[in-house]
Amino acid sequence: MIEVRSLTKAYGPRVAVQDVSFTVNKGEVVGFLGPNGAGKTTTMRILTGFIPPTTGEVKVAGFDVLDEPTEVKRRVGYLPESPPLYPELTIGDYLGFVAELRSFYGRKRAEKVGSVMERVGLSGWESRILSSLSKGYRQRVGLAQALIHDPEVLILDEPTSGLDPGQVMGIRELIQNLGAHQTVILSTHVLSEVEAICPRALIIARGRLVASGTISELRAQAPGGLWYYAELSGVTAPRVGGLPGVAEVEPLGEPDGPWLKLRVRAAQDPRPQIAAAVSAAGGQVRALEQRLPSLEEAFVSIVGREA
Amino acid sequence: MRHLIAVWKKEMRIYFVSPVAYVFLAVYLFLAGVFFYLGVTLTGEASLRVLLGNLAITLVFVLPMLTMRQFAEERRQGTLEMLLTSPVPLAAVVVGKWAASLTLCLLMFLGTLLFPAVLAYYGDPDWGVVATSYLGLIGVASGFCAAGLFASSLIDDQVAAGLIGVVMLLPFWLVGRSEALLPDDMAEKLRDFGVLAHLDSFNRGVIDSIDVYYFVCFTAVFLFLTYRSVESRRWR
Repeated sequence: MIEVRSLTKAYGPRVAVQDVSFTVNKGEVVGFLGPNGAGKTTTMRILTGFIPPTTGEVKVAGFDVLDEPTEVKRRVGYLPESPPLYPELTIGDYLGFVAELRSFYGRKRAEKVGSVMERVGLSGWESRILSSLSKGYRQRVGLAQALIHDPEVLILDEPTSGLDPGQVMGIRELIQNLGAHQTVILSTHVLSEVEAICPRALIIARGRLVASGTISELRAQAPGGLWYYAELSGVTAPRVGGLPGVAEVEPLGEPDGPWLKLRVRAAQDPRPQIAAAVSAAGGQVRALEQRLPSLEEAFVSIVGREA
Repeated sequence: MRHLIAVWKKEMRIYFVSPVAYVFLAVYLFLAGVFFYLGVTLTGEASLRVLLGNLAITLVFVLPMLTMRQFAEERRQGTLEMLLTSPVPLAAVVVGKWAASLTLCLLMFLGTLLFPAVLAYYGDPDWGVVATSYLGLIGVASGFCAAGLFASSLIDDQVAAGLIGVVMLLPFWLVGRSEALLPDDMAEKLRDFGVLAHLDSFNRGVIDSIDVYYFVCFTAVFLFLTYRSVESRRWR
């Protein structure tokens, strides 16, 4: 649904995005991660046809953003970082205008406005003036603006920034309830958000794509990656370290009575060997589990790795 | 075309839900009243010459204030991003905005029709001249709205856009009166670029095609420049 090939965008001498390639399939929800100023917004603006790429090829729904921008714009719904609202207008007038921009007139216009307001939970708010709305409601109106024409591709630039936890949940639910026919790219720097709603994520730093994959792939990619947590009795740390395949053993804090707490790294799953060794020594196993670094740790190590 | 109307409707709504339109209408009618009173009492003739001449000058200062927000504000609020990512031709946006500010101008002129009515009650004005004078005024308004829109597309700050608009329009006014400032041959050459040279025949009751052409070109050139300016800023 979205194809980006060697995309580069330069503002004069400053290169904002450099040689980025990725594809997003139909129906996918993809998180776009990166520190501030990494090039997320620039990439999204190019996908929507707002600014042209310097070099590279960008196709949305099969149409090139440079050759057929109107076709792309028809199929894309876009929520910029701050919702694009006219503070003087009422919600009804504003969404009516947006509907007309999308070529819905007369009865169709009223229908579209009514149904999108219901979807984002604004029913009955037609005559509220936009400048009087709280941040959360402004964001909902912004989302309504992006959803009104039922776009195939939805591009959301930090849809939950600055909202309170309840509002964040509301917006997330909305995104999760979108139809399976809608492809979503959403940028954020709230990592728990990506874990909650995006099966796949792209990480961009200093204008380059530094990692992509499912959330667990990204977590495993972090330096160190996978490790094992063990609470054992009856053995010593060097004994565990001597087991075949175990690369590194590190005690985690003080032992809890007879229980030794260990961080074990190994090329292959060492749990059967550890359990066998412990029972051979007459000890016991209280915990033995596989651990992945958190997405935060993975993110910091991936983004930091490129520095 | 329907996109153009959508943009026009939105601009009109913004004018009329905020105090902007009412303040402009009130101020313009007040100024018109003053000019009318002075014009009639000082010259003692039943003509609108002084009134309409002064109303045209006022447009140099009033119209950039009317158009200054149109692109500057869209850009500042981020709504330009929405307009340019919707499948609407940029030309429809530009012309829709220009048409909205011109419409507000026409409403201001409509208000000033009170004064010819007063003249008709007490005297016998030349209706042909009144009609062509208004036509000239509309020509000026059309061109100045386009120029003001261009100023608004240049810069994000609306007050700065307004001032740029005024400064941009002043030369078009002054070249008609610059004989004292410029060498004779230069003043002669520049005269035809000025608005006054072309307003003159309208005010005498004559519609000359060259003058109509002047105002049409004035409008078209500035609308085109606006289009290019909005378009080109996306590439930087």
